[in-house]
Amino acid sequence: MTAVPLSPVRRWISRTQSSHRERGATLGSLYIGALSVAIIGGMLHRQLADIFWPDAPNLSGLAGGGLAAVCYGFLFLALRRLGPLTLSRPAAAWLLTAPVSRRMLLLPSLRLTGIAAAALGALAAVAVVGHAGPHHSMNGEQIALLITGGALLGIVLLLVATTAQAGRRWGVAVDRLAGLVVAAGFAALVADVAVEQPIAVTAWPATGTLIPIVAGIAVVVVVAVALVIRGLGATPNDRILEASRTAGTLFDSAFGIEPSFLTDMIERRYWARRRLRSTALFPRLPVLVAQDVLLTLRRGSRLLWLLLGVTLPVLFGAAPGWVLGAVVLVGCLVAGMVATGNVRTDAGNPVMLRMLGLTSRDAVLQRLLVPGVLAGVWAALALTALDLLGDLDSGPWWALGLTLGPVGAAAAVHRARVGFVRNELLPLDTPMGTLSTGPLVNAVMGPDMLLLGIPAWIAIAQGRLSPTTLLLQAVIGIAGARFYLSGTTADDRTELSH
Amino acid sequence: MVDHPAVEVDGLHVGYGSTPVLVGVSLTVPAGGGVCVTGENGIGKSTLLRCVSGLQQPDEGTIRVFGGDPGATPEFWRAVVTTVEPPTWYPGLTAREHAELVCRAHGQDPSEAGVDEALERFGLGGHKDAIPPQLSSGQKQRLVLAIALLRPSSLLILDEPEQRLDREGRADVASLLTDYVAGGGSLLMASHDDDFAVASGAEITTMESLSA
Repeated sequence: MTAVPLSPVRRWISRTQSSHRERGATLGSLYIGALSVAIIGGMLHRQLADIFWPDAPNLSGLAGGGLAAVCYGFLFLALRRLGPLTLSRPAAAWLLTAPVSRRMLLLPSLRLTGIAAAALGALAAVAVVGHAGPHHSMNGEQIALLITGGALLGIVLLLVATTAQAGRRWGVAVDRLAGLVVAAGFAALVADVAVEQPIAVTAWPATGTLIPIVAGIAVVVVVAVALVIRGLGATPNDRILEASRTAGTLFDSAFGIEPSFLTDMIERRYWARRRLRSTALFPRLPVLVAQDVLLTLRRGSRLLWLLLGVTLPVLFGAAPGWVLGAVVLVGCLVAGMVATGNVRTDAGNPVMLRMLGLTSRDAVLQRLLVPGVLAGVWAALALTALDLLGDLDSGPWWALGLTLGPVGAAAAVHRARVGFVRNELLPLDTPMGTLSTGPLVNAVMGPDMLLLGIPAWIAIAQGRLSPTTLLLQAVIGIAGARFYLSGTTADDRTELSH
Repeated sequence: MVDHPAVEVDGLHVGYGSTPVLVGVSLTVPAGGGVCVTGENGIGKSTLLRCVSGLQQPDEGTIRVFGGDPGATPEFWRAVVTTVEPPTWYPGLTAREHAELVCRAHGQDPSEAGVDEALERFGLGGHKDAIPPQLSSGQKQRLVLAIALLRPSSLLILDEPEQRLDREGRADVASLLTDYVAGGGSLLMASHDDDFAVASGAEITTMESLSA
């Protein structure tokens, strides 16, 4: 079958779409976009410079390697989640089924993701060299070569992800490997904090050594790009359609300022891929607790990441005390949220709750239990790690962690009950422009309950723990969760809406 | 509960904007009896069932379910099962586990309640380990009916339960509904299929005959 040339079709679509827009609308959008970047860049350039290029390197070689592993590991995983090759929803619906060249159809997507991957790879290289490299003793050529190398590495990762998308069975194995690389990088960052005298990088390969290495990688990348473009036509339809749905949902979430579109899609896809075997719902536990336990155990990888995350606060040991306290509290919220998938379902649509015939009070009470255990255990382990590796005074920090269980549970369940962003709320006029309050209110619901952890926050910030603080936190946490339960539920209704 | 009819509707008016859908509708479902409302699409059958389930407020008229107001109370939902709304399924829970969850929430032992037998009877024996979103629309419909009939209730409100069922499935469901009413339950349903309605043993009435 003869393929129809794609370029005239795309030109016709572009021309027709333009005719429906106001004159100069695209230029106006570009102008506003560029202006926004310039304004934000002007406001935050000092902070960005501190993040990517501090005055003096502040990471050891081990931590630098860890940072590189985390950055490039996440880049690869993000590319895999996005596709990486994708089409807009209309193109997937109308052009994928048309007799046009598949290679030509996917080429613009490869070009765009290639530019993005190269830019992100270069940015990661800037951060790694800025934090771990002896950049005062390096010349401009060395730095430029390293950044170029980072950009090329970004493209290499894109090419691997594109090949995996084309249906190779090793794609899942590479995803797992990337997950392990991120975990290893993270472990290296934590280990660096635990080491008494980390070894800083004092020397860097000379320009003469770097040039052939970077040039060699560039040649390999050019050949690999040619091979990938040649094989683009073999990308299966289902992979392109899945990536197209992901991109569409991502845009819906961004434009609608509604993150639940994305989280729901991720959740649906996860379970669609799993093969489950029915099991009895732990008969000794209350029924909804048993359901939450089952759901949590079925998300084993999340539990593993949560366990790994107990060392995350250690990385903030050098940050101001209030930041460290906030990280522990937010960690409690995240730990609790691992087990709140069922609350989200009930809050979105109470049909199953009606079928169960439970009161909203009974339902929420049972739903608080597993998030509470997860949050309490996570905080206990995290504070023990801080006690052993950080600057906290010795004390029963693990017990303070356990008292944060009810706080994490209330925050996580409150977050899960939020539902959709309320875009009908009145916007606020500010000197910087109109501020939509719906997404703002939605974002703070859940984290607002973390205020119940203020005693622990202060104790962590000060690095000192007294029995009074411990008792106070326990009382405030339990009483706060109890008030949340009685204030937002009732014995005479099933719906979880507030 | 037995002193009152299962459902009493009197002078019900419901409209969507300026379009009246139900005008002066009156209906009685006796306790331990079954009524099937028939009528063409868009005539207001689902709206009537939604109002009786307490999921939609009428513009005018009274609705009593077992002598009380239909509402969102847990007591109401322990007595009434409705399929007028499509269910949202829990993540990571198989079809069998959904059935077990509902049974246990009502204090039933899943084995004694006959979860496995019910799934077999509805042709879902081979799909027990599937998560409901993976099932076809007909299988999901059968799962909803299986769960609705498994759990204890006094009144079933079913919106076109024969939909997406094959001939054999319709006969099975009709027979189960007959057993439900024979066992003392009350039934209010809407249907397009006269044969199915007759087989279920419910008294057939048309939407036109219910309007004033």
